[in-house]
Amino acid sequence: MRAIPYLRLALLALMLALAVLMRPSALSAHEAAMGVLEFREVRPGAFVGRWSIEPSIGASRVDLRVPPHCFLRLPEMNCGAKGLVGPITITNLGSNMSVVLIKVIPIEGEPRSYTISTANPVVSVLGTGAPTLEVWLELARTYVNYGIDHILLGADHLLFVLGLIWIVGSGWRLVKTITAFTIGHSASLAAAAFGLIGVPERPLNACIALSIAFVGVEIVKQQRGEIGLTARYPWIVAFSFGLVHGIGFASALAGLGLERRLLPAALLFFNIGVEIGQLAFVLLVLALIWAHRRLGAVVPRWGEALPAYLIGSVSMFWFFGRLARVFVVI
Amino acid sequence: MKLNSTRLVIATAMLLAGGNAAEAHIVAARLGDFYMGVVHPLTDLQDVVLWTATGVLAGTLGAAKGRWLIALFPLGLLVGLLLGQVFGAASTQLADAAMMLAIGLLLAAAAQVPTVLLCAMAFAVAVIRGAANGADLAPETDRLLFAAGLTCVGYAAITLTMALTAVFKRTNSDSATSWRAIAVRALGGWIAAIGLMMASLALAP
Repeated sequence: MRAIPYLRLALLALMLALAVLMRPSALSAHEAAMGVLEFREVRPGAFVGRWSIEPSIGASRVDLRVPPHCFLRLPEMNCGAKGLVGPITITNLGSNMSVVLIKVIPIEGEPRSYTISTANPVVSVLGTGAPTLEVWLELARTYVNYGIDHILLGADHLLFVLGLIWIVGSGWRLVKTITAFTIGHSASLAAAAFGLIGVPERPLNACIALSIAFVGVEIVKQQRGEIGLTARYPWIVAFSFGLVHGIGFASALAGLGLERRLLPAALLFFNIGVEIGQLAFVLLVLALIWAHRRLGAVVPRWGEALPAYLIGSVSMFWFFGRLARVFVVI
Repeated sequence: MKLNSTRLVIATAMLLAGGNAAEAHIVAARLGDFYMGVVHPLTDLQDVVLWTATGVLAGTLGAAKGRWLIALFPLGLLVGLLLGQVFGAASTQLADAAMMLAIGLLLAAAAQVPTVLLCAMAFAVAVIRGAANGADLAPETDRLLFAAGLTCVGYAAITLTMALTAVFKRTNSDSATSWRAIAVRALGGWIAAIGLMMASLALAP
């Protein structure tokens, strides 16, 4: 059993690496340099593009990537019979050009806008007509990947899941707990994406950090022999905080310029991606727990409490940093 | 027919060995430099063979000897990366080949390696590969994130390989003629052969 603390230290090192080193770029203040690029469809599949607001680095220096089947040489872009369907990205976003708005004005249908930013560097354009199989496949590919990326880059979400695993261990209790977390964040993600609930992003992020601190406290309680709320009702805690984390996931979908008709499917695929990433993480942690047990890797008793305090410290560091951003525009 | 098979093997090996930078940089563009550090060694033939060989060797020697590597191996990667950054890129092809040959032969011979020697060899492998992984980093790569990713994947890979090998071999007192022991020795032979081929390539004029 003493293998677990050693594992915890190792896992903590992994999470700390994610947490501390993946310093959020948003913390570094810079002026948003924006550009607006307009694509007007002149005949089916053929577009004329122009910069209505040129970015400060100059239009010629923007490394714009369009779907592979489209041929782009501004002002012309030809996507053939398939139309403008697929990912659009800008590879050299940075402090000189942090946001670019792409406007697509089709021959038929409503104009649409997509925001490419350092936070969301890839947008998916999904055509104007009735969704075809290709559109669905593109939607699935884009949003499943996006969900996986989001969870893998979300050190706070992963740290929370690690805390839950820490407290409940493995087996059915863990399955129930992770399922409750999944149900919680799926429900709130859907509600937030459809506009049923809305929470400002900055206070929400502070709450997410606080949820990790809560789990840290619960771990300390458990080590002292006390039975905390998470140890007693892990699925209730997982579900409740899952609701909070789900709204955080929804903020990742915001600003992508996704059409409402495709939102349910995009949401489903995004959630599937999040689950794939989360499941991969849980399985990796369980595999490492098993490996440490098998190797009998142990840590001195004096080190057992350290991980919980480190989790608490990291989460409170995040909490105060995020709280400061609620009141101060950084 | 034989020539075609040989060509196929060589072409596959070259593709595996050459694809690392491109693959890893695609990951970096998508998920950042931490995950680039995670993926970089997994797409490099030398890393895959040497890490596996080290993990298998440690696993066959038993948990008591192998568990030191859980901390030592990632530490060695970090030291190697640091040395690579300080002293610049150097070819590690011959060193890789020598380590593959040595570990492969030890596995093939089912040698009972002392803990100190095992730790020294694993640390040497980690330092060499850490330096090699850091050699082709782009100037814009965040070194700290890359190092974190590399050490994390080093820890996970060596821990899981050792545990899986220990389970495969079942007990330390397994008969040397059991099929499991023979399978491990055969694997050692293959690793030594790869090392020998790589050494020949490195020394070829």
